[in-house]
Parts: sequence; C-alpha cells; structure tokens
Amino acid sequence: MAIILLGVLILCSCRGNAPPTTNTWSPSFNPQPTTTAPNPVVDPQGGYPGSGLNDRPADDQAGYAVVPAEYIAPQPQPQPQVQAYTAAPIDGPCIMGMPGMEAGVPVPYTAAGPWIPPGIVPPWPADEYLRDGGNVGPPVAVGKNGELLGLQMEDTVARYNTLDGRTLVEPSNKVDLYSPRFNAVRQVVDAEVDQQRHRASGIALPVKPVMPRTSEPVALNAQNLRAVRDIGTNPAGQLRARVTHATLDSELLPRAFDNGFRPFENVSVIRSGIYLGSDAPVLARGSQAAIAWGSAEGVHVILDERTAAALVAKQKLQETYAIDSAPNPRLRIVKAASTPVAEPGDEVSFTIRFDNVGNQPIGSVQIIDSLTTRLEYVPDSAQCSLKARFSTQPNEGESLVVRCVLSDPLPVGKGGVFRFRCIVR
Amino acid sequence: MVPKLRLTTRIRQQVSRVAGELAGVSIVLACLAVSGLAQEPAVHYWHQGIMPPGAIGSRQLQRGGPLAGFFQPVEIKAPQGVSISLAVADHFLPPQEAGAGTMYPWSAGGSRVGLLIGSVYRLRVTNIPRAEGVEIFPTIEVIDRTFAPVDQQVRFAIPVEIAQQDLELAMEGKFVTRVIYLEDPHNALPVRNSESQSWFEVTPGHDPLAVADELGRPVAILRMGARVPDQGPDPNFYFGSPAWVKYPPRTAAQAKPVRETAPARPAAAPAAPAAPAAKQP
Repeated sequence: MAIILLGVLILCSCRGNAPPTTNTWSPSFNPQPTTTAPNPVVDPQGGYPGSGLNDRPADDQAGYAVVPAEYIAPQPQPQPQVQAYTAAPIDGPCIMGMPGMEAGVPVPYTAAGPWIPPGIVPPWPADEYLRDGGNVGPPVAVGKNGELLGLQMEDTVARYNTLDGRTLVEPSNKVDLYSPRFNAVRQVVDAEVDQQRHRASGIALPVKPVMPRTSEPVALNAQNLRAVRDIGTNPAGQLRARVTHATLDSELLPRAFDNGFRPFENVSVIRSGIYLGSDAPVLARGSQAAIAWGSAEGVHVILDERTAAALVAKQKLQETYAIDSAPNPRLRIVKAASTPVAEPGDEVSFTIRFDNVGNQPIGSVQIIDSLTTRLEYVPDSAQCSLKARFSTQPNEGESLVVRCVLSDPLPVGKGGVFRFRCIVR
Repeated sequence: MVPKLRLTTRIRQQVSRVAGELAGVSIVLACLAVSGLAQEPAVHYWHQGIMPPGAIGSRQLQRGGPLAGFFQPVEIKAPQGVSISLAVADHFLPPQEAGAGTMYPWSAGGSRVGLLIGSVYRLRVTNIPRAEGVEIFPTIEVIDRTFAPVDQQVRFAIPVEIAQQDLELAMEGKFVTRVIYLEDPHNALPVRNSESQSWFEVTPGHDPLAVADELGRPVAILRMGARVPDQGPDPNFYFGSPAWVKYPPRTAAQAKPVRETAPARPAAAPAAPAAPAAKQP
C-alpha cells in the first residue's frame, strides 16, 4: 500500500523542470504560439466564461483592430463564423497565425487589473508601481538632538512636540502610483565573433650552430594570432552627475495658498478633517488610507478645546461627555495623490491633510516627505493652508526631502492642508 | 514436501512496522524532492540572450501564468521618416512611415500594436536616413507582460525603440540585441528620460538578458542585423506570421510636451547677511 501511494504521489507531482518538447537549440527552431487550437468554450465576448477576466481596455474596445495574419488553406472551403473567436469581421480574412488555427486565434483573456495571484497583497506587481508615504522601513524616531532617525525614501511622517516635552512621530498612509518605466540593455556583437583567424607569423630560418657549445635560442616563435573579436567601443550609457550642494537645507518663504479644493481632494477628511465612512472608497483607490484609522476616530466631541471622552454610565440611556484629563496628544495625517496612474513626465500633486485629533495642543509640527527616486519635486510648488515654512533636502535616492514646518502650535481640533507637486521621472 | 515457513505473529508485526516506517520516510523524502524541483525562481538566468528568437518566450509560457494568448501592447518607435512593416500571412504590409501624425515626445513617431507573448514578429525597416534602399529585418519577441489597470493597458505599452545607431550597426553587419526591461522602482535611475529610451551597453561575452534581469524584469527582446535573410516563401523567415492587434496612435491630447524645466535641486541658501557698515564719524 505504501509503495502504491509513493508511486501515485511521484506521478502526480511532477511539475518540475520539464524538458522542452521542442529542440530550442536547433537552428530550425520555429516557436509556436501556445494558442494551438481554438477553445470551444470561449464566449462571444472573448473571455472565458465565468472567469471574470474579460477586462479588455475600454479604449481597446473602442478603437483596436485585429490585423489579420492570414493563412491560405490548401483547399478553399467556407470559413466558420470566426467572430466568436477573433472579434474580426466575418467577411474579412481569417485571423490566425499558423495551420491548425483556421478558426482563428481565440481572443485571450486579459487578466490585468482585477487578477492578482492568490495571497498577494495589492498593488501587484510591485515593480510597476511607485510608492510614497507611510513608514516603510524601521519606525522613524527622533534622536537625542532632535534629528530624525530611520527616515528612508518613500517615507512620509509628521513630528511634533507635546506639552509634556515629548517628540512624537506619526506616519501617513501609503499612496501608490501606477507608473512603469522601461529601459533597455543593448549588446552589439560581430558576426565573426566565433571565428579564429590564423595567419602566417613569418618564415622560420634555421640557424646553424656557430660553436658546439652554443645553442641559439628560439629565434622565432610561430604563434598563431587569433583574431580578436570586434570589441565595440561602449560609450557611457548614462551620465550621472552629482551636484554637491553647499548647504543641505534651504528655506523657502511660504507662498499663497489655493483655497480651492481639487477633485481628488474633495473628500470630507481633506476638506474639514472629519473622516466619514464614504471617504474610504475614494481614498482607498490610490492609497491604503482606509485602514489608517478606525471608527473610533470618526466622531470627536470637543469641549473647551479638549477632546471629550465618553463616560460609560450604564444606568443612563444617554452618553455623557466630559473632558478627559489624561493627556493624549495625537496628530493624524492623510496623504492623497491627484492621479493613480502617471507616465514619465507627468505632473502629480500630493495633498497631505493634518489634524490635531488629540486632547492638547501640539507644537513644532513638521511634515516630512522623503520622495522616492522617480519623483522630482517641482520647485516652489509647496503651499500650506497655515502659516508655515518649507525646505528641501537631498535624500539618498537623489531626490528631495520636502519639509513643511508650521510656524504656530496646532490647537486641538484644528488642522490644515499641505500641498506640493512632483514630476514623475 | 516443501516445508512451509510459518512466521510467528510477533515477527510479522515487526516486519510490518519496519516496512511502514520505511514507506513513510520514503514518502516524505519524495515529497521534499519533488517540491524542491518544482521551485522556480522568478528570474531568467537559465536563459541566455543568444538563444534563437522565440525560445525564451516559449520557455516563459511553460512557466504558467496569464501569459498565453495575451496581446501585450507594444509601442514601436523609430527615427523620423523610417518606414516599418509588419508581416501578415508571410507578406509584409505596405510600409508606414514612422512619425506621421503622432506627437509622441520620446521619438519622432510611434505605433502601438498588441503582440502575443512568446511569438516572434518579423519587421521590415526601410527608408532609413542616409541609407535609402537598404532594408533591415528586425524581430520582436515579447517575453513577459505588464498588468496595467483595465483602462490603461494601451497607454502603458512597452516601448520598443529602433534607434538610428542600431540601424547603422546592423547595416555594418553587426548583430544588435536590445533587451527591454521594466525598471525596478527601488533601483531606478534618478534621471528623467529624454527623447530616447535609456539603455545600457553590454560587452560581448556577457548575457544581456541576465544584466537586464538584474536591473528589472525583462519584457521584450529586439534583434536585428548580422545578415540579410533570404526572402521568399519560407515561413520560417516570418516565424509563422503570428497575429497581432493594431491600436490607434496617440492623439495630440495624449501626447505630452517634453519638459524643459531644470531638475529640482535645493534652492540656494540665502546669502549671508552683509557685514554692517562701519559707522561714519
């Protein structure tokens, strides 16, 4: 019984490195597409029924045209209705690529968008997205001298001082931008790279010995010189120029603040700092803001500029609010981007909403955003709804750390908006 | 009469127990071995860039995933005036001049098509500047796909650039291989792409596919040059003329002008306050 089970197990789990069915090293190797035969279960819309993967782009549906790769059958015969497979005109040429596909190439399922491998947290694949915001690496902390420790690329945090002398750090949510960038690796070889040329190195002239004890050394070494392959001169692919800055920080005077809210900012948490449940789908579209806070922060009652806490009194039907005497300083920051997708060269606006959701005023509020490598800060684009100073500082990714320092302490229940623009490299 | 061997009940139990233990250990070892063989790292290192066209894509399809039958949008770019033809039914279509009616900033022209992953597409490039009458027959092989949002697949097509320098090298008899890869955003170059696509040069003897795999995720391979193939009814020259999809070109609204702004640098530090002038008596 055990031997039978062993055999069945080995035979059933053989997804190893199966040898290719064709000799891929053969010079006459002709790759064949895997769509070897039309799938009879393809639905008329081109997707696999029930798969939920029929998500051809909207603009594709509007404007694409299948260019026929016509195959001339040896014997003319009426073509079947190929539109169900190919989305090509019925009276047009059959689109196909090789014999055996007379019925056409099945319009494939497009697994982009909703499809991700099971168990993978979106966004996926990660190499097609730019991430900015949150605290990716180790938690950002404040050193003894007030410096920020552990601030890495893509981090967006806010630091502030409390009344009892502590300095706290609060990260923002993450913002994901779909912005793939493509580069290339080029290799230039000569067709004669594998040839070895041998040429005559000279004529060997034997020399007679002059004296019996004198032996002439080898006068000529017939060495076959092998042809050196054509080593192409390789110019520098990239010129990376580093500009050393005399100073690390530079302060910019605050500019005028645009009070108008942009479409992507038109959510309650950005406008007024009050988080509503209806904001979650909007923010979750390009960020993980929906999980950054819970329902406990949804409604706040402010009494005498101090956050009130609910007194649980079971003997009464209503809830009584009173001022919580325990200090609980807290700053909430929410980050949003103007677009979830961006091509290289596009300009993206970032908006950071900050609110004092604690029960005591906080001071020295700084919002720090370390931009990722592919985000280039637009100079003089920072603005804040409160009186603030802006500064920039290079980071390790040859981008900038944008800093907004509020000039005044932030009272309880108050907040503001910090905006800046970036160009996607 | 043959004596019949009769085992006692105790011996039979011992033999059964030992056999069961051996079978269990064998099953565990077999599971570990098979699972180890099935582990495939997400790299292409066992491929080589010198493999014949189509071999890498075919092996990529064998690894599974939503690759088979997917038309990956690809944007073919060429210098201004160059004509490009794709093959249909073992014949090249009438050439289309690159750059006509397009305003794409990275090159003079571009056309977007959907190509099957794993298939090899033969192109004909004519009307090359300073080499009129010369024809180059590159091949494009898409070996991986992108997972753009549903309505953004064509917008984020894979750019395949046929540079003027590559065409000149191909005319000299050189064999040019370009491996287009998706850049890892954590190892991205902190530069802004100019009119042409950034590329690295790999010396002969190195594998461009392995280099591209270190820098990101290879998605397409462009090959050209080395020899002039024999044109004729040979379908191998056209690699079976696989089907492709033509997408509309970029519109003027989709095209973006090349930004000329200087890279962002920290603003200059404010000048030091001037020393107070000496008081005049």
